[in-house]
Amino acid sequence: MNTALTALHMAITLVMPFLMVGLVNRSKAWWGGRKGPPLAQSYWDLLRLLRKQPVLSEVSTPLFRAGAWVVLGASLLAAQIAPLLGPLAPLQFAHDFVVFAYTLGLARLFLMLSAMDVGSSFEGMGTAREASFTAFVEPALFLLVGTALVGTGQTSLAGLIGQWHLSPAFVWLAAPAVGVLFVLLQAEAARVPVDDPATHLELTMVHEVMVLDHSGPELAAMQYAAAIKMTLYAGLIAALLNPFELATQPALAVIAALVIMVAVALVVGCVESLTARLRLRHVPPYLALASLVAALGLGAAGWLAGAA
Amino acid sequence: MNTLLAAQWTLLVGAAACLLPMRNAWRAALGLASQAGAMLLVLSVALPVVLGGPPLQGELAWAEPVGLLKVRLDALGAFFLVWSLPMTLLGSVYAVGYLRRHFDTERHVGVHYALLNMTALSFVMVYSADHALVFLLGWEIAALAAWLLVIWDYADQKVRFAGFNYLVSTHVGLIFLVAAFMILYTHSASWELGSFGTWLRANPGSERNLVFLLLLTSFGLKSAFFPFHSWLPRAHAAAPAHVSALMSGVIHKAGLYALVRFVLLIGRPDEWMGWFLIGFSLLSAVIGALYTVGQRDLKRLLGYSSTENVGIAGLGLGVGCLGLAWGNSSLVVVGFAGGLLHVLNHAFFKCQLFYAAGAVYQAAHTVDMERLGGLSRRMPWTAASFLLGGVAISALPPLNSFTSEFVIYSGLFNGQAIGPWAQVALAFAAAGLAFVGAVSALSITRAFGVVFLGSPRDAAVETPHEVSRWMLAPTLLHAAGVVVLGVAPVLGLMLVEGSARLALAAMPGADAAAAAAPLHALGDTLSRIGLLSGALTAAIALMWWLRSRRSAAPAPRHVTWGCGYTAPNRRMQYTGSSFAWDFGRRFQGVLLMLRRQKAPEGYFPAYGYLITHCPDAVERRLFAVIKHGDESAAELSRHLREDDPRVAFGAALVAVVLIAALVVLGTGALR
Repeated sequence: MNTALTALHMAITLVMPFLMVGLVNRSKAWWGGRKGPPLAQSYWDLLRLLRKQPVLSEVSTPLFRAGAWVVLGASLLAAQIAPLLGPLAPLQFAHDFVVFAYTLGLARLFLMLSAMDVGSSFEGMGTAREASFTAFVEPALFLLVGTALVGTGQTSLAGLIGQWHLSPAFVWLAAPAVGVLFVLLQAEAARVPVDDPATHLELTMVHEVMVLDHSGPELAAMQYAAAIKMTLYAGLIAALLNPFELATQPALAVIAALVIMVAVALVVGCVESLTARLRLRHVPPYLALASLVAALGLGAAGWLAGAA
Repeated sequence: MNTLLAAQWTLLVGAAACLLPMRNAWRAALGLASQAGAMLLVLSVALPVVLGGPPLQGELAWAEPVGLLKVRLDALGAFFLVWSLPMTLLGSVYAVGYLRRHFDTERHVGVHYALLNMTALSFVMVYSADHALVFLLGWEIAALAAWLLVIWDYADQKVRFAGFNYLVSTHVGLIFLVAAFMILYTHSASWELGSFGTWLRANPGSERNLVFLLLLTSFGLKSAFFPFHSWLPRAHAAAPAHVSALMSGVIHKAGLYALVRFVLLIGRPDEWMGWFLIGFSLLSAVIGALYTVGQRDLKRLLGYSSTENVGIAGLGLGVGCLGLAWGNSSLVVVGFAGGLLHVLNHAFFKCQLFYAAGAVYQAAHTVDMERLGGLSRRMPWTAASFLLGGVAISALPPLNSFTSEFVIYSGLFNGQAIGPWAQVALAFAAAGLAFVGAVSALSITRAFGVVFLGSPRDAAVETPHEVSRWMLAPTLLHAAGVVVLGVAPVLGLMLVEGSARLALAAMPGADAAAAAAPLHALGDTLSRIGLLSGALTAAIALMWWLRSRRSAAPAPRHVTWGCGYTAPNRRMQYTGSSFAWDFGRRFQGVLLMLRRQKAPEGYFPAYGYLITHCPDAVERRLFAVIKHGDESAAELSRHLREDDPRVAFGAALVAVVLIAALVVLGTGALR
C-alpha cells in the first residue's frame, strides 16, 4: 500500500507542477474574459525548450549552466520530503524539515548565483530582492514547524503537517497556519502580490528577471523547478487540511488532496487577477507579517498546551 | 606526557632556530619542519584519546608558589588539538606563498615563523593544562603571538591601530579571566582545574553565577561574541590572510573550548545559564550575520561571519547546558556534539574562505569588492574554493556546516520531556537560526557574485592571475575537508564523540548504559544526512552529465540582455553596496549603513559621487563614550548643577540608604 502511495506521490510531484501552472493561467484568463492556453501548455513549452540550443552570455562561466541543474535537483529532492497526500512522504525521518528548508535554500543560492553570473544590473537587482525577501519569510516555516511540534510531538515534516489535525489546538491554529503557508507559497513560487510573473518591465521583476539570460534546456529546468516549488507548498496545505485518513481511506484521501491542490491553484490565480503586486518596499513587511502570525501562533500553541 | 613535553620543546627550539639562518627560505623551512614534527608527536598521543582511549595524565614538579604542574589531556582537549595543529601547519605552508615576495628582501621572515610556532605551542599548553597558571600562560602566549602576527605590515598606521585595538581587547578579556580564577582560587586553595570543579559543583549560588558571568565575558571576548567583537573586523582586515584564517578558525576557538571545559566543571549548571548562553549566542549569530551584509571589504565580511558562527556553535552548547540542567541525556549529547562539530566545520570552511580572500588580495592587491569583478575566469581554483566555502558558510547541503546545523536544529526541536514553554522558546531560537541562514546566504551571494562573477569593475585594478601552489594547496585541502565532512559526517562525529561522553559523564547521576542510546541515535542521524547529501550530489551530477552529453557543440555566445539599452558598461553592474542597501536599511537601528553623496544636478551635470560605508556600531559607540562620555550621563549633568547643595545632599542620602540596604540584606538581618 505504502509503496503504491509513494509511487503516486512521486508521480504527482512530476506531473502536478504543469497542471498547477496551467490552472493558474486558466483562472487568470477566465477573470480576464479570455479563453486561455491549454492546461498542459507549460508541458509543451518544456518539451520545446528542451530541444532548443541555448545562447549564453559572453561573460557567463560554467556555473551559469550548472546552476540550473542544481536548482532542479534540489527542488526534486525537497519534493520527496514534503507530504502531499497526508502524513506520508517518500523521504521521512526525524527533523527532515531542516533538510527540506535547506535544500530549497541550496536551490535558491544557485538560482541567485546564476543570475549574478551574467553581470547585468537588472539581474543583480532581482537577486538582491529575492535574497532579502527570503530572509523575512524563512523564519515563518520554522515557527510553523515549532507550532506543530508543540501540538503533535512529531519530528518529521510529514508527521507534523499530516497529523496536526489530531491535536486539540488544531481548531484554533489551522487558519493562521494555512495563511502562513499560502504566503510562503507566494514568496517561494514568486506569485502576486510578492512578485508578478507576467510583468513586462525588467526593473520590477524578481524571479523572472533572474532567469532573463537563461534559454533552452536551462530555462526549462528553472521554470520546472519554480512550478515544483508552488506544488510543494500547495501540497503542504493539502496535507494539512485533508479531511480523510490516508491509512484507512486512501482513495478518498488522495482525491481530497488533489482537489485541495487544484483549489489552491485556483485561489492563487484569483488573487493574481484581483490584486496587483505590492510596491517593492511593502513586500518585506507583508512577508514579515507572515512570520509575525507564525510567531503569534507559536505563542498561542504554547499557551494552549500549557492550559491543557 | 613526555611526548607532549617533547612536542613543546620541539616547537620552542624550532622557534628559536627559525631566527638563526641567514636566508629567509631556510628560516621558513626550519619553522615548517619543527611544526610538522611537533604535530606528529602530538597527534600520536591525541588521536588515541579522541578515539576513545584513556585520558593522558602527568605531572611535573615546579617551584613554589606554582607547585605541581598537572597535565591532563582528555577527549575534549584532544579533539581541539587534533585539528588545531594540522591547520596551523597548513596556515604556515600558505604563508610561504603569501610572504614569498619578502623572501628575497631584507625582511626577516623567521620572526613570523617563530610566532606561528608559538601559536602552536599555546594550543598544546591550553588544551592539555589542568593547572590554572599554565592555562593562563598559554592563553597569554596565544594573545601576544596573534597580536604580533597581525601587525606584519606595521609600517601602515591602520594596521598598527588594529593591532593595538586587538591587544587591548584581549587583555580586557584576560582581566575578567584572572578575576574569575582569583575567586575560584580563594575558595579551592588550589590551582588545579579539577579542584575548581569540585568547588563549583558543591556551591551553587550568587558567587558561582558571578564566576560564570566573568568567564563568559572573557571567553566571549576571546571568541568575538557580540557585543565583544569590535576588535575583530579591524584585526581580520589588517592581518595577512593566513593569520586572519588562523585567528578566526583556530586561535579563537580556545574561547569555546574553555567555555565547554568550565560548563562541564560546573557539572549541573543552573537553568538560567543555559538560557543565557542561548540568548547571548543567538544575539551574536543574528547581529554578526546582519553585519556581513554591509561590508565592502571581503576580509571584514569574513571576520563578522566568525561572530555569527561562534554564535551558532554557542547555541548548540547552550542546548547542551540546558540538557545538563534538566538531566536530559539526549539534549546533552545533541547540544555538545552539535556545537563542537560546528566548531570543527567552521574551522575548515573559514580558513578556506580566508585563504581564497588572501589569494584575491595577492593577485589584485585589493579586497574592496566594489573594485573587483569577474575573477572566476582568471582564478578558477580560487573561485571554486570560495564558492564551496560559501555554500558551507550558508550551512547548505551537501557540505559540512549543514550537518552540524542539522544537529543543533534537532536539539532545538527536541520534542520530548520538556515543557511547552521551553519548546516554544527553543522554536523561537530555531527561527532565529533560520533567519541567520537566510542572511548569510544573502551575503555570500553578494560577495561571490560581485567579486568573482560578472566583469571586472575597475580598470585600475591589476589583471589578476591564479596564485602559487603554496597558497592553493592548503586552500584545496581545506575544501576537501569541507566536502568529506559533508558527505561523511560520521567522521566528524568520531572526533566529538569522546567529548559528548565526557559531557554525559559530567551529568550527575548518569549511567553509561542509558547514555549510549542518544549517541547511537546521533550517529544514525548523521549517517542518514551524509547519505542524503551524497545522493543529492550524485543526482545533480547525473543530470549535468546527461545534459552535457546531449549537446556536444559549444553554445553560441551573445552579450548579456541589457533590457534594450545598447551602451552598457562595466561600471553599470550591480555593486555590493546596492545589493545590500535594500535589505540593510530595514535594520537601520542595528546596522549603520552610511552614505555620503553629491547627486549630479542640472541638465549637464559635471560631477557627482556616492560613498557608502558600514562602520561597526559597537565600536563607534565605544569611542564616542570614551571621547565625550555617555550622552545620557552628559545630558543629566547638564541639568544638575554640581554647585547646588540640594543635589549633593540628595545624592549622599541615596547613597547612605543604598549602603544600609545592602548591609541589611547582606547580613540577613531581615530573615
